[in-house]
Amino acid sequence: MIRALNLYKSKDGKQILRGVSFEVASGTTLGIIGASGSGKTTLLRCLNGLERIDRGVIECGDVRLDASLADVEYARRAKLLRRRVGMVFQHLHLFPHLSVLGNITEAPVHVLGMQRSEVEREAQELLAEIGLQGVAHRYPESLSGGEQQRVAIVRALIMRPDVLLFDEPTSALDPRRSANVRALLRRFIAQGHTMIVVSHSIRFLEDLADHLLYMEGGEVVEHDRAEALLYAPKDARTQDFLRQAR
Amino acid sequence: MSEKKQRSIAVLCLALLCSVSSRAQQVLRWGADPSGGAPYVFTDPANPDQYIGYEKEMVEALAAHMGRRPVMVATDWEAIVPALERGEFDVIVNGLEPTEDRAARILFSRPYYVFNLQLTVRREERNIASLEDCRNKLVGTLGNTAASRLLAQRGIPFRGYADPVAAYRDLELGRLDAVLMDVPMEAYYARDNPRLRPAGPPFRGGVYVIGLRKGDEALKAEVDAAIEAIMRDGTLERILRRWNLWDAAQAELHAAMRKGEEVHYAMTAATFNWGDALKRLARAAAVTVMLAFGAMLIALALGLLLAIGQSKDGGWLSALCTAYIEFFRGTPVLVQLLFLYFGLPQIGLALPGWLTALVGLGLNYAAYESQVYRAALEAVPRGQWEAAYSLGMSPALAFRRIILPQALRIALPPMTNDFVSLFKDTSVAFAISVWELATAYRELANATGEFLLLGVVVSVFYLAMSLPLAHAARRLEQRQARRRALQLQAAEATT
Repeated sequence: MIRALNLYKSKDGKQILRGVSFEVASGTTLGIIGASGSGKTTLLRCLNGLERIDRGVIECGDVRLDASLADVEYARRAKLLRRRVGMVFQHLHLFPHLSVLGNITEAPVHVLGMQRSEVEREAQELLAEIGLQGVAHRYPESLSGGEQQRVAIVRALIMRPDVLLFDEPTSALDPRRSANVRALLRRFIAQGHTMIVVSHSIRFLEDLADHLLYMEGGEVVEHDRAEALLYAPKDARTQDFLRQAR
Repeated sequence: MSEKKQRSIAVLCLALLCSVSSRAQQVLRWGADPSGGAPYVFTDPANPDQYIGYEKEMVEALAAHMGRRPVMVATDWEAIVPALERGEFDVIVNGLEPTEDRAARILFSRPYYVFNLQLTVRREERNIASLEDCRNKLVGTLGNTAASRLLAQRGIPFRGYADPVAAYRDLELGRLDAVLMDVPMEAYYARDNPRLRPAGPPFRGGVYVIGLRKGDEALKAEVDAAIEAIMRDGTLERILRRWNLWDAAQAELHAAMRKGEEVHYAMTAATFNWGDALKRLARAAAVTVMLAFGAMLIALALGLLLAIGQSKDGGWLSALCTAYIEFFRGTPVLVQLLFLYFGLPQIGLALPGWLTALVGLGLNYAAYESQVYRAALEAVPRGQWEAAYSLGMSPALAFRRIILPQALRIALPPMTNDFVSLFKDTSVAFAISVWELATAYRELANATGEFLLLGVVVSVFYLAMSLPLAHAARRLEQRQARRRALQLQAAEATT
């Protein structure tokens, strides 16, 4: 479970988030939609503790990140928060100097202090599970975009986060590959993962997300069950966006 | 050295001017090294723009007999014979000893002084009573002198200095075990030093003569006659007595001359042979390599700390690191070495020469490497930090495991290039008498006149080490360029 309460964030004198609140129940998936510049990505970065919020509270399990905390304590809790919240970046940010296996095992070994052999075994299992057999010892630069993305997903997954964040998971993929990613995310849903997926593609989120949240100008315009928001939007701005997007 | 050169050029110009303006009287241009040159010829402490010394007075007496006007040309002791051959002056009057190798290149006048050698040690020294005890010790002396040849002949490890002051100071600081020097210098620079004492009695060294260019037989006759004259009329004795240099040996020399006896003197021979020279060069090459690697190790470690310190925005640490970097990049490395070698002992920190060079070059290159690190760290995309953070890594862990390995790859080619530069820059250690390739070249070449051949050999030594490194740097650069192109291709394929 992750909850955002009245989040405010400004960057370079520009207000990016204006009082964003929502909650994602365990085992459910929230899709966040909105035009570029609506604050979707910044919101995700705040939820991962990469950006400091100006006001508001983020709660995930027993971690409570309050904007009013002093810097040192905020940084300490942001680190705890990141242990509960995994992130798959739009541009993946795989580590180019490490093999696929190295990318995946680096954090479990050095952050969680797990046994390397055990982590490697688990990594191999996860890779096999998502159809990436035999790439463990290759380097990211030799993989296709789709393969790289799956490596990034496994890298986040192996930390066993309570919540997985996806930033525009299909922006770099062709339609066939984007269908593959959707199938993969469906499997995660079936396994009971909690996810937040930011995407500009409504089609991708349709029958993937339980709930949808439409953002505009840093505000939550509408937050509802997916089919309700898609087929019976209440706010005129949501209606406008959906009409243009389709 | 360049200051000395400038000074000698200035003196030379002055000499030329004077010779033009007073054509009536011929000049006698005499070359000598006045730095640390007491009591021969040196700067008058009471009157810094004037030289004094017993040889200066002697030259004045000689010139008066020859009907010439003396003009002194300040020069570097170690290169004094080549300077004479180039015609920078007409005679060498600088406590010059006749040696076989010099005899092959220049003429000698009759001897005008008999010198003894004196071994000096620190006051508390217990193990050295004579030269025999110096087998495994390091002895300082002037480069290319009878003393240095004696040491080379006896197989005693020694270090050649450009002036006696530096040698005695290094003895005081414990960088040397003993100093062997002509008695006139020993008397002037060491005898009154309470921290030093003579080891054993002085022993016969040889004679001083005036050096002339080959073919200047007429001038040699003139000079010989003038020497005889000032010995006969007691002028030289008066000068030597005034400088406390008159002793039984001088009386003997004067007596022999009055009797018309030819004075026989043994010439020290340079013990130079190519096998020995190559061995000494190889040792110098090893020191050069050791200096380069040691200094680079310091530069890489300290440079990284500086780069990290500098990246902490705004704090005093960042300011301190920036100040360090600006200081070491903005001042010549030669000056930094001289400061470390001569300045630090004043606050009680006397490092041996090689260590000073190693640390000094390391400190200097750390400033440059910090900037290589900085550029490389900045070249690692921000996303790499964020990906590491998002996996729960602390800044330190992210830096160590994710950022630094990538930055090192980016930094490797420029660092290899810097290493090649550092390798060549080790030659500045010659300024503090470290026996590396440049010092070896200068000393061996000065001693033998084989500037050309030894120059080629030394260059080959340098190239054998720097060319493969430069080649490696180029290959690394090419590999990185290929990898970047590959990554770009992969990125394009996915969009």
